[in-house]
Amino acid sequence: MLTPTFPGDSPLHRLAAGVKLAALAGLGIAVGATAQPVLLGLALVAVWLAYLPLGLTEAAGLPQRLWPLWPFVLVIGGWHLWRGTPEAGLIVILRMLTMFAAATLLLRTTRFDALLAAFSGLLRPFDRLGLPVDRIALALAMTVRFIPVLALRAEALATAWRARAARKPRHRLLAPLTLAALDEADRAAEALRARSGSV
Amino acid sequence: MTDAAPGIMLSAAGASLGGKRILQPLTLHLTEPRIGILGRNGSGKTTLLRLIAGLIAPDAGSVRVDGIDPYQDRKGALAALGILFQNPDHQILFPTVEEELAFGLIQQGLPRPRALARAQEALRVEGRAHWARAPVTSLSQGQRHYLCLMAVLLMQPGTILLDEPLAGLDLPTQARLARRFATLSARLVTITHDPAGLNTADRVLWLEAGQIVADGPPGQVIPAFTDAMTREGARDADADLSG
Repeated sequence: MLTPTFPGDSPLHRLAAGVKLAALAGLGIAVGATAQPVLLGLALVAVWLAYLPLGLTEAAGLPQRLWPLWPFVLVIGGWHLWRGTPEAGLIVILRMLTMFAAATLLLRTTRFDALLAAFSGLLRPFDRLGLPVDRIALALAMTVRFIPVLALRAEALATAWRARAARKPRHRLLAPLTLAALDEADRAAEALRARSGSV
Repeated sequence: MTDAAPGIMLSAAGASLGGKRILQPLTLHLTEPRIGILGRNGSGKTTLLRLIAGLIAPDAGSVRVDGIDPYQDRKGALAALGILFQNPDHQILFPTVEEELAFGLIQQGLPRPRALARAQEALRVEGRAHWARAPVTSLSQGQRHYLCLMAVLLMQPGTILLDEPLAGLDLPTQARLARRFATLSARLVTITHDPAGLNTADRVLWLEAGQIVADGPPGQVIPAFTDAMTREGARDADADLSG
């Protein structure tokens, strides 16, 4: 779903992070304002087509990136089917898939430091109110950064499980993964402290 | 300032983790260019390094590095010392090599574009210009270790703390890193359980259960340490639990 930056030099990579964030926000408003399943379907297709500059493999990989959303699709779809409002369900699902596809595209084509700078720029007006803008921007960017890090940790835990067990781990990795997340947070804080004036 | 004595000054400095005392109050003045701290697993050497680096606060006494309190004065500490963690994955924060290298420089007040330019320049000098945009996950363990060292060196600290700097690396990488360490003008404090790398140190300290049991030239401390470790090994001491 959310993955590390795709190394490359496509036009999308060169676009300023602030522009991409603004486009994502604009798309969110547009997708929220329309309730036409056809228009929403077209929006999803358009976002998918926007993956093409990254290459066919990347574009073809989108369904796999959206796959982890299936429980939400199932619950929302099931609920609306049961209520007899399938169209309303379709609208919500299309909005969700479109926004996830667009957000993933932004993260795939935006470097971490550019994202950090864009967050700082967006928050700059609040500087005057005395908010620690740079620290908030760092926290936001770190949140995004650590999603792929934790995904790697989860994979490593699953591998360690499979190395000594015949059954799939499923939910049993939740507790160790939570502890791993706290561990990662401690280490990141220490690494930040070792090379910075704050934290 | 009157306490701006050069070197690392510990005055009855102790440290505890989770209420357990790891380091007994230590009084030390380290001024030599190459210092080794020897100890077996669990002796408190990593805690000592973290204390000197200002990553943890002393719960007794005080720590000064070139007159700076490394825990309180983080800005000052950045110029005074750098630390190379044992596991590079605990040190690397950023997804690409040049971002990782630029981070410390930005923290020292350099504007982002200049920090990135310095990072790229440093990579070029090291013959690794092609690393700049590479994801850190694509580097091997030894390469990540090297990246961490470069990130610390870019900040030009007066003292560099090394935590088991050669452990787990293949022999060519060990040789190259050791060569690199030898050329550095910064003061190096190396902590390790392996005396092999400390033969050329100016001063070696042996840490055991949070206390200094020997302190002197390597020719004096290392044989004593090696003898003691051999005896310990013979009596199955690795089954002991600390504390």
